[in-house]
Amino acid sequence: MTALAREQWPATIGRVLASVAFVLVLWHLAALTVAGSYMLAGPVVVAQYLVENSSLIWRALVVTAQNAAWGFLAGNLAAIGLALIVLMIPQSRMLVASVALVVFCLPLVATGPVLRVLYGPGPGPQITLAALSVYYTTFIPLLVGLRAAPGNWFDMIRLYGRGAWSAFVHVRIMAAMPYLIAGLQVAAPAAFLGAMVGEFTGADRGLGVLTLRALRALNVEATWAIALVAASVSMVAYWAIGWLADRITPSRPEILLATTPAPVRGPMAQRALRALVLGLATTVIVVALWWLVMEAFSLNRFFAKRPDDIWHYLVTAPNATAHRAALWTASTATLVQVVPGYLAGLFLGAGLALLLALLPILAGGVLPVAIALRSVPIVTTAPLIVLALGRGAVGTITIVAVMTFFPALVACIQGLRQAPGQVLDLMRLYATNPLAQLWHAQIPAMLPAFFAAARLSVPAAILAVTVAEWLATGRGLGALMAMTASTSDYNLLWSAIVVVAVGAAFGYGLVGLIERLVLARVAPEQLRR
Amino acid sequence: MAEPMSARGPEIVCEAVTKSFGDGPSMVEAVAPLSLSFAAGQMAALVGPSGCGKSTLLRMVAGLEQPSSGTINLDGETPEVLQRAGAFAMAFQDASLLPWRSVQGNIALARRLARLRADPEAVAEMIARVGLAGFEDARPAELSGGMRQRVAIARCLVTNPRVLLLDEPFGAVDELTRARLNTELPPLWKATGTTCLMVTHSVREAVALADRVVIFSSRPAEIVGDIAIPEEARSDKAARLALAEEVSVALAQGWDEAGTAERLAAQ
Ligand SMILES: Nc1ncnc2c1ncn2[C@@H]1O[C@H](COP(=O)(O)OP(=O)(O)O)[C@@H](O)[C@H]1O
Ligand SMILES: [Mg+2]
Repeated sequence: MTALAREQWPATIGRVLASVAFVLVLWHLAALTVAGSYMLAGPVVVAQYLVENSSLIWRALVVTAQNAAWGFLAGNLAAIGLALIVLMIPQSRMLVASVALVVFCLPLVATGPVLRVLYGPGPGPQITLAALSVYYTTFIPLLVGLRAAPGNWFDMIRLYGRGAWSAFVHVRIMAAMPYLIAGLQVAAPAAFLGAMVGEFTGADRGLGVLTLRALRALNVEATWAIALVAASVSMVAYWAIGWLADRITPSRPEILLATTPAPVRGPMAQRALRALVLGLATTVIVVALWWLVMEAFSLNRFFAKRPDDIWHYLVTAPNATAHRAALWTASTATLVQVVPGYLAGLFLGAGLALLLALLPILAGGVLPVAIALRSVPIVTTAPLIVLALGRGAVGTITIVAVMTFFPALVACIQGLRQAPGQVLDLMRLYATNPLAQLWHAQIPAMLPAFFAAARLSVPAAILAVTVAEWLATGRGLGALMAMTASTSDYNLLWSAIVVVAVGAAFGYGLVGLIERLVLARVAPEQLRR
Repeated sequence: MAEPMSARGPEIVCEAVTKSFGDGPSMVEAVAPLSLSFAAGQMAALVGPSGCGKSTLLRMVAGLEQPSSGTINLDGETPEVLQRAGAFAMAFQDASLLPWRSVQGNIALARRLARLRADPEAVAEMIARVGLAGFEDARPAELSGGMRQRVAIARCLVTNPRVLLLDEPFGAVDELTRARLNTELPPLWKATGTTCLMVTHSVREAVALADRVVIFSSRPAEIVGDIAIPEEARSDKAARLALAEEVSVALAQGWDEAGTAERLAAQ
């Protein structure tokens, strides 16, 4: 993504403008065809709405942007702090990463209402949710970046009798910079998304509030106008960070937001045991953290449930079976929508990337648009999909698919470019047909990026599905969490949080396992030595 | 140069040095017991098949790798003591410049790491001596391979090191540029009396530059040839060719299986 940003600004801007014009025309035509229905407002009406309500929207935008900015700052500082801990105590890497993952998997839809009760009115929940939605995507690339420098650079430091501090100051910081920037770029729209979800949970000001109001009033122009503003701001933030970064670090390598997984090594039993120990240690730490935070701030047990409350509610209470059944019903309802959407988005993204590899003429035009659309926080546009596709399963599955589609597409396009040029030249020399080139050289090179996107898309897909359920369908875990939040059934709410976080972390681990097995077969050289 | 000429380089003594990597069935014995020493101020070329342990030996001398057994002393001190004194400089096969620093910045960093005072004049002078005047502010990405290697050499020399370790410094450079670098650069460090170990693949390079050529067999490396190059031979073309021939034969012995070596010896 960054190499592209650097390439040629004028050409990129020209292409983007052309795409925008094209989209506007399509949009206008579409609006004409479905005129009168409650799904699509044409560009003219939307522009009109924006002009008429400019001061209202501007005020809301300022509020949301401010909250997003504070969350952006806090979340990224947390990410840097975590990465430094791992750098200083390398043995803690797996554990810190797993705990960070579980916290990242907390469903914003449920933590939002809880935070709302804890903070009361004001920007607290928005800022916290913004921070929660950015720290992981900065932390992971930073982990890679801090170790990304070639060994010779560190040898040079040691040769002059210098230690870890000099290596940090002279090598690691600058070597990690491109990775930090890539993380920050992804974080900018994510922070905006977090802030808006925070506003959904009962703030009194901000774009999220306007969205909810417009959606409830079936005000199509307003919904479109707000989504457009949110999307544009996210894209501008994404590009602005890239632009700034190009000035600070002129020769940034194109990097993938992937940690290469460790190889499958050692006997099966030993591996299983290691995974089990890690899982247990993570659980213990998360439960301890949970309990500590609640006690440290002596939060009211009525809404700030402790681990043992949930245990009681789900296991030892007289009607625990009924509680579990309610959760089970909601979970399966969510699962049947999130899995198809997740897989569809992922494979359509990878498929389009492969198609573009075969038709490279198209790729130049698609990539900037895809990168731009990836930076649109899907939650801000989810209301549009709800309007267009209705409140049924199709709409929800589409929202999830869109959420995973763009990251997969961008990652796969970048991954395909990692195919070693000399190998491709060699194949062309033998007039190997493009499909065989794809199969033997490009797909193996693409896989790590594909899986990195697949892993990070798990929490994202769950966020998307719960938001969709909450805003629209009234079924599944998202609806359950919204309902329990409004009826103050905090036991059920906290139980749902646990289920979602555990499910997301489990899904992430499952994708990681599949990744390792596939890479070990197809591209063993891609596994970390 | 602004610095006073440093003391002559130390004598380097390796005694029964071994190094193995990994353990169990995947263990690699990179260096089998090896004893050799280099006189103070000597310029020695190390030649041998790739993978025989030359880099590992150099890294152990530099204190970047601990020997599995045996000792390495430089004038009776351990490598670590010399590291802290800023006595080493090393050039790697790829120049290993920091991409975010300019030519000037990369060279100046070496002085800083070696705890020498900042000396822009010394840096500028060194840049001029490796023929890069005008490129002070260029980034490594804007330089050719040969230019980058010259920056790496300048970075080595700007600290006026007592021990100079060159690990195939021109390995990635084309033949013509390499020949030019070989005539331009060695005078720079030969004049300073530093002890210099240089790994190279090129017999011609070894004979033309070094006072001594040490030839290793393939792993586990043994010394199959240790040839002194007298100063007179350098100016005498015939003598130089004869020496190069001698080194090549010794190298062929080291390269091949022991059987070939015996055959050669029998001839
Ligand atoms: N860090 C290391 N870990 C494992 N094996 C190594 C390492 N460094 C070198 N080796 C092995 O030791 C042997 C000698 O390597 P090296 O010293 O680089 O040889 P040379 O420089 O002569 O080509 C090789 O077989 C190499 O694979
Ligand atoms: Mg080597």
